[in-house]
Amino acid sequence: MHNISRRDFLKISAGFAVAGLLPKTLFSLEPTPHRGPALAVAHGEPSRLVAAAVDALGGINSFIQPGDRVCIKPNISFAANVDCGATTNPLIVKQIVQLCLDAGAEKVIVLDHTIADAVLCVEKSRIEEAIIDPKRVVLLTPTKERQFTDVQVPRGTELQTIKVAKAVLEADKLINVPTAKSHSATGVSLGIKNLMGLVWDRGYLHRVNLHKAIAELATVIEPDLTIVDATRALTSGGPGGPGKTIVLNKVIAGTDMVAVDSYAVGLTPWYNRSFVGANVKYLAAAHELGIGEINTDKMHITAVET
Amino acid sequence: MTRKSKETHRTVRWIIQLLFLALFIIFFGLTKYGRPFGIQNLFFRLDPLILIVISIVYRTLMVAALLSVIVVVGTLVGGRFFCGYVCPLGTVLDMCHRAAGVQKRTDAVYKNGKYAIFLFVLISALVGSSFLHFFDPLIILARSLVLLVYPVVSYFTGFVTLVSVAVFTETFIALVTLLIIIALSVLFSRFWCRSLCPLGGLLALLSRFSLFKFFFKNDCSKCGICASVCPTSAIDYEAQTIDAAECIGCLRCYYECPEHAIAYAPHFAHTKTDFQRRHAACAVIAGIIAVPLVRSLLHTKLHGRLIRPPGAIPEPDFVNVCIHCGMCMKVCPTNGLQPCVFEAGLNGIWTPRLIAKIGGCEKNCNMCGQVCPTSAIRNLPLEEKTYAKIGTAVIDRSRCIAWEQNKVCLICDEACPYNAINSLSETVRDVTLLRPFVDERICTGCGLCEARCPIEGPAAIQVFSIGEERKRTGSYITEEKVRLRACEEKEEDIPSGFILE
Repeated sequence: MHNISRRDFLKISAGFAVAGLLPKTLFSLEPTPHRGPALAVAHGEPSRLVAAAVDALGGINSFIQPGDRVCIKPNISFAANVDCGATTNPLIVKQIVQLCLDAGAEKVIVLDHTIADAVLCVEKSRIEEAIIDPKRVVLLTPTKERQFTDVQVPRGTELQTIKVAKAVLEADKLINVPTAKSHSATGVSLGIKNLMGLVWDRGYLHRVNLHKAIAELATVIEPDLTIVDATRALTSGGPGGPGKTIVLNKVIAGTDMVAVDSYAVGLTPWYNRSFVGANVKYLAAAHELGIGEINTDKMHITAVET
Repeated sequence: MTRKSKETHRTVRWIIQLLFLALFIIFFGLTKYGRPFGIQNLFFRLDPLILIVISIVYRTLMVAALLSVIVVVGTLVGGRFFCGYVCPLGTVLDMCHRAAGVQKRTDAVYKNGKYAIFLFVLISALVGSSFLHFFDPLIILARSLVLLVYPVVSYFTGFVTLVSVAVFTETFIALVTLLIIIALSVLFSRFWCRSLCPLGGLLALLSRFSLFKFFFKNDCSKCGICASVCPTSAIDYEAQTIDAAECIGCLRCYYECPEHAIAYAPHFAHTKTDFQRRHAACAVIAGIIAVPLVRSLLHTKLHGRLIRPPGAIPEPDFVNVCIHCGMCMKVCPTNGLQPCVFEAGLNGIWTPRLIAKIGGCEKNCNMCGQVCPTSAIRNLPLEEKTYAKIGTAVIDRSRCIAWEQNKVCLICDEACPYNAINSLSETVRDVTLLRPFVDERICTGCGLCEARCPIEGPAAIQVFSIGEERKRTGSYITEEKVRLRACEEKEEDIPSGFILE
């Protein structure tokens, strides 16, 4: 056993450093034109959007295994009419539930910690339309603190621990189904922002640096699939509405939450102004934390018409 | 009469009583958010005391309670059966008495008390205040169910349903009141009904003139069994008279009499009461004095935070027409409607007020108006209800973390379903940030912002009764309000969450 000399150590380190700087394509066996995260953008008839998008990503079976307990997180936090766009379109949620059941999921839990009264949110969002099989699909709107449990945020500076819905932590898979909407504080509310509906005390995030806190939340809750419901977008007056609602008839699906959100930012102007993902503070922060890709040029985007 | 038929009759009476009690409880259970409201307030509409007192105090005929004429006519024909068979509080008291197993005692009863209280309630209504809520048996039972039973039930149902657990700010006085009534009736059979209940008083007055009565049809051996089984001490067996005012038609004497001396048939001999003129005078004077007394002993508008539900008629009529039954508080899905303690004066106890810190008034809900049995909260259509202004939100900038600590909060803006909060760019000590402003022309005072403000202790945005609208009649919708709310070119600055280039 001999010690590595300082000289050797520097040589080896330099070697690794150079290797690290080399383009990754050098080590790849089959070169592809786009190396970034895969994104599927489906446009057309709302009742077929989800299947089209998920198929473009390789089909539901690449996300859900038979016997999985799947948690689906729509945004039904407000007691607003479905047409307003403040809540996820139940038609989209229903398609995802159906896909999960088809893939052999043992249990599908549709879950949101609502902001307004749960009974009213459920009624107004018409989310019960997505509960297509009462045996295997349940709707859960946790309203009690005991339904949440502490999760450490190792990479957090704003958040140290955060109480997250137990049902999510106990599930095998999480599918994040936000609605595309504006937000008076964060600018837009999409996939990452939708995760706030899984925590007990969302007010806490507002009391610290909100943008960083949202990004840090995404380091501990990692959906297996994010599907942004952009059948319509609430482009002002969000998150609760009323505001300006436009019909887009699109969904954006992907496993990289930052990429999905970043693409969705460019779907339409918000507050009558055009933005890109990098203009959104919490997305920039999430990108900095290495959660995902923010530059749409680096994404592998498949567009599907239905 | 065989022993068996006596038993059968008692069982039948119990079944009828329990059926009406069950109906009362079922109606109560069906009075909830999300369930269409129809006949659930049937019992209140059958209560002639509510009809009389509310019509007098509001100087308007309470049409919804005209149904109670049935009870009046029924009593004039058959006697005080309402008390013996229908009244759910009477049944509860019978059950408690039976469960306690205390030897029946019928003494220590002041049977003129119920006439005095009836007169008192009537006179005070004439002078200008209703005290019905302290004395009407149906109201007492309904309120006890809302304030004492429903929170307990919802604690358990809360495990399996979405409905959050109801908690109320005033249950202690309601509990003590109920316990006193029960305790007295456990010690002395039907004490409440015979001595205090003004509805009993009214029906007793009517049944004195009822067509059918119980009476001794022939001479008997004066064994006294009838008097010993009578739950209301209506029988004087020595004199062979039955006081039709006191008799609640339980039929015990009819079946127990070994000589079958008691009959139930048309009978025209009026029984006299010993309710004397000086008793009446006392009740009248008390009724006259009580009205200014309850109004002068407590200031009501000290804190400006008495927020009434949308569509509530103007004060002080509201406190009078409201029968304090608590149904509005039961159906309020946010639990924000809470019973007043003394915020609305001594007589305003248990009237509903919105405590927005607990829960705001949801935009898509008008249940309180739907269930109000006396329309003290008007049954406004959903659209009109959203225009009924119940107060105005005021921001306390020294507590607000967007103003004081430059935090990106704006939860109030998020919570407001009317876009009455404008988040505008404002520079404070060189920091430019969106900060909340209330547009008081659009704010309805619903308090959803206050409910969600993340500040510990008093919220940084609070609803005060500034600008509240209370209308006896007429629409709350005005062209101006509709125009303001629809206003497209609303001030809206780009949220701080965007990096502007």
